[in-house]
Amino acid sequence: MASAAIPRRRVRIDLAIATVVGLLIVVLGFGATVSDRFATTANLLTVAEQAAALGFVAIGQTLAVLVGGIDLSVGAMVTAANVFVASFVHGSDVLMIPGLVAVLVLGAAIGLVNGIVTVRTGVHPLIVTLGTASILNGLVLLYTLQPTGKVPAWFEDFAYDTAFGLPIAGLVFLIAAAIVALVLARTGFGRAVYAVGGNYEAARLAGLPAERVTLMVYAASGFFAALAGAYYVSRTGTGDPRVGDPMTLASITPVVVGGTQLGGGKGGILGTVLGVLLISLVNNLLNYMNVSTFIQWVVQGLIIITAVSLFVNRGKRL
Amino acid sequence: MIELKGISKSFPGVKSLDGVSFEARAGEIHALLGENGAGKSTLIKVMAGAYTPDEGTICFDGQERMWSNPRQAKDAGIHVIYQELLLFPELSVAENLYVGRPPRGIARLIDRKAMLRGAEAVLARLGHHLDPRARVKDLSVADRQMVEIGKALIGETKLLVLDEPTAVISGREADLLFERMETLRAAGVCLIYVSHRLEEIFRVANRVTVLKDGRHVATCPIAEVTRDSLVTMMVGRSLQDIFPAKPRPAASATPVLSVRDLRMAPKVRQVSFDLLPGEILGIAGLVGAGRSEVAHAIFGASTRDSGTVILDGLLHDRPTPRVSIDAGLGFLTEDRKGEGLLMLLDTAANISAPTLKGFVTSGFIDRDAEIQAARDEIGRFRIAVPGPTSGVSALSGGNQQKILFARWTRACRKVLILDEPTRGVDVGAKVEIYRIIRELADAGIGVIVISSELPEVVGLATRVLVMREGIVTGELSGEDISETAIMRLATADMADLAATAAA
Amino acid sequence: MTTITEPVSVTSPTDLARRIALPAVLVVLIGIATALQPSFMSGSNIQDILTQAAPLGMVVLGQTLVILVRGLDLSVASLMATVAVLATAFNATSNAMIPVIFVAAMVLSAMVGLASGLLITRRNVSPFLATLAMMIVLQGLRFAYTHGAPAGSLPPGFRTLGTGQFFGIPIDLCAFALLFGVLGLMMHRSALGRQIYIVGGNPRAADLVGIRSDRITILCYVLSSMLAGLGGLFLVGYVGTVDNFVGRGYELDSIIAAVVGGVALSGGRGTLAGAVTGALILVVMFNIVIILGLPIQAQLVIRGTIIIAAAALFARNARGA
Repeated sequence: MASAAIPRRRVRIDLAIATVVGLLIVVLGFGATVSDRFATTANLLTVAEQAAALGFVAIGQTLAVLVGGIDLSVGAMVTAANVFVASFVHGSDVLMIPGLVAVLVLGAAIGLVNGIVTVRTGVHPLIVTLGTASILNGLVLLYTLQPTGKVPAWFEDFAYDTAFGLPIAGLVFLIAAAIVALVLARTGFGRAVYAVGGNYEAARLAGLPAERVTLMVYAASGFFAALAGAYYVSRTGTGDPRVGDPMTLASITPVVVGGTQLGGGKGGILGTVLGVLLISLVNNLLNYMNVSTFIQWVVQGLIIITAVSLFVNRGKRL
Repeated sequence: MIELKGISKSFPGVKSLDGVSFEARAGEIHALLGENGAGKSTLIKVMAGAYTPDEGTICFDGQERMWSNPRQAKDAGIHVIYQELLLFPELSVAENLYVGRPPRGIARLIDRKAMLRGAEAVLARLGHHLDPRARVKDLSVADRQMVEIGKALIGETKLLVLDEPTAVISGREADLLFERMETLRAAGVCLIYVSHRLEEIFRVANRVTVLKDGRHVATCPIAEVTRDSLVTMMVGRSLQDIFPAKPRPAASATPVLSVRDLRMAPKVRQVSFDLLPGEILGIAGLVGAGRSEVAHAIFGASTRDSGTVILDGLLHDRPTPRVSIDAGLGFLTEDRKGEGLLMLLDTAANISAPTLKGFVTSGFIDRDAEIQAARDEIGRFRIAVPGPTSGVSALSGGNQQKILFARWTRACRKVLILDEPTRGVDVGAKVEIYRIIRELADAGIGVIVISSELPEVVGLATRVLVMREGIVTGELSGEDISETAIMRLATADMADLAATAAA
Repeated sequence: MTTITEPVSVTSPTDLARRIALPAVLVVLIGIATALQPSFMSGSNIQDILTQAAPLGMVVLGQTLVILVRGLDLSVASLMATVAVLATAFNATSNAMIPVIFVAAMVLSAMVGLASGLLITRRNVSPFLATLAMMIVLQGLRFAYTHGAPAGSLPPGFRTLGTGQFFGIPIDLCAFALLFGVLGLMMHRSALGRQIYIVGGNPRAADLVGIRSDRITILCYVLSSMLAGLGGLFLVGYVGTVDNFVGRGYELDSIIAAVVGGVALSGGRGTLAGAVTGALILVVMFNIVIILGLPIQAQLVIRGTIIIAAAALFARNARGA
């Protein structure tokens, strides 16, 4: 049998990515006609900055979905991290950095708990993370019903700082996304995530550390949610026990729109990043058009429907 | 190479292995035989590290080992190709080949280029021209199996276990498989081959071990056994006639099913045939020839593009399964676990499923009637099940299949299409199923048997259609039916056929 | 001889244990509550509790149907609120309008359920996403219509429906009992109920035995939505006022109740009775929280713990319910 030379590189264009890019172009084009302030760099930078928090959470969610699960506790995690940092630091310069480190560790730890319960008891992650979310929310609300705590002024500015002309937050988001994307594509761990998401039992029988991979993914999701929560403290300067409420569902939209399927094993960070940009742009555009927040919700729902019904999915549970 | 001594393994309620001792050597192909439930797959999983035995020792490559997870067994050089083919459909061929141990480059990142090169090399060794970048989900079943074998070649495999590999391939692809196995054997690999197909065992194996009811029965060189002696060891009784005598349908009867110019892209290109009541029509061919698709198209599980189907004199147009069932046409699918049985329901519900309406009076299901009907069928088909209200998921393949037979014979009295009716069924149950098929034909039902097991087709059918790539390449009847004749038609040169068709 | 409550699916030892455990837990909880507050089991207290829980019960019935066919309905709470807003939009003051309002609400609910069902069966959208999207869309429409603050009025008859009594039994409880009875009968004795279990257990096999699994699935979503709509109307009657958040949290509570009650997310397994028992367990737990004088937020913590504990108890094997 003649051995083939390495075949020419066929660039496989992912249908989902193509759709999102297409939609992005449409939105940009449409926005430019609506308002000339829309397509300016200044505005786009603002969008990137606003997208950062959602972006962090979406990165974590992408990982959870890729491994075949889902993390519905991210919103509660964001809130908890938010309140924790503001209360713990309480304006003290000295405690700021330790506070940040502590909250990230905490986030990973809670995520780890999610993972452990999911793997050990066999309960669907939907239920487990819902439970965790409820517990976290309850604990936070028991602690405080109103925004509380504060942070030193220099940290507050952080959220609005720029470096090389780009908002720091946006940069950190893109760098984080790039790192995670690299890990997913090029490391054994990343490959294992796809394998476990595709077929948990097969992965296990192939000798992959399926359990460990799952645990680490949920820990990562918790970590990123905590990161988003800490970022929010910088933006608002205080700890708000309601801040994370919309985040859970909001984190799923860009993941799904970006082509990562809820069954697991398929998709990636690129799609999520594009999805985050798309959602943020659309929201921004709707603001420019003075469309009420309520209609924005409707649009968001329609985006979800359109994006997922465009490609017929493998019918998998969830 | 590997020696297991006194292995016992129990699960809640059942002792799968009872003091089994087994050994296989490097450079041999060792067949593992036994009825379903004899303990073969448990033994394999113990060897592969997926199960830890309750008792007993494992000695591999001269060292006493005890695996606590599959990874360790893999690292030691044991590779198992399961029937379900543990591949990841969304990943590429190369990624699947290297799953778990990809070549690493700088900073321990995966070296893609090395992975592709390695994949190319392995595929070349197998003589297979697959694109290592192709997604596994786009490959045919036979190609996927090649990828599985490739996985064994990537690592340093010392022991390769193949679990019923020919269940999903046949003919030339099976030949290729056997060639690969022989290559590996000559290179010193120890191969353990599990199959229900005795003729294959005689073809490739050097020695054979028989398990029965979780115990070791015998291990012999292949030259010392015959088909009969093997069956006797497996089943405990001697079987002279596996196949009942063939039915003799009245040749002058009008066909109960007429298919003309059936077309359904991409697998069915042009199929026409008649089926007489009381005859057993076999449809043979290589995997992928389009046989199951023909059945789907006739039954209405998939929508055909064009063609006429006449069922018992009436036009059977654009059917849905419901329409087909009501018209007397039944379909026992290939995949009984995925598409046939209702695992969450009991035996009675499984049997009544297509004919549920018949048990409904004034809006409610007459559960007593349903249970009684199930009881009748259990007796009639001799299904080994505790009772009509017990579950079906824990039953053996043979019994599960019988339940499906009960279901469809209740539902449809005109035509019954059976797709691989004895797949995954042990020898003892096979005999009973063949008897059932003969009885169905005697009762006047037109039976179509789609099968990849040539001896089965030859043994059962009064007439055989052979398909290849969506068309019927030939028809055999009576004395002409033989495995060679079928294979010849199944592998017929397509160009030749086109020429003769045009002529 | 089968009874209404006997499930059609196979009983394994775990199933039996579960069937006993569930009512047992409920009894224990009631015992705890009574120990803490002797008046818990008094007629009036029971009435209060059940009246308040009846709308949730209706939603739970619908959610169970959807989960049985391997789905989820996240839109129920949003639908309840939307139905409530719709009811006030009539600006009706006469009780004669009540039937009209009910019909309108049912039509809207059915349409929403139909839309979800179609998305899920025809376009293969995952139920999670389809109903999530529906929830968001309804929310947006509702807020946009009311500009954040609903106005309009309801006929006084609504309050009677929500809080009144029929021979000493709360009306909404009667309604719930009726629905429970009818649906229970359907699920366990009729062909349709059997078909729902078949479709949920194995949709592909269902198709091949001639069952229209698409239609059955869509029907379940339509029923779920209509039940949610009914729940919304009765809840509004009970509470007496309408805002944009009627029924908030009911989507999660109904899922929790079903899971606690042994309905498997994987489909085809579980009973209405189990889910209702699960709902009662939730309700009693919340009442215990109140009796103990704990802040309302503690309910969230409890809710979370219950759901994880119950699901863990009922999980069959590692990896997947």
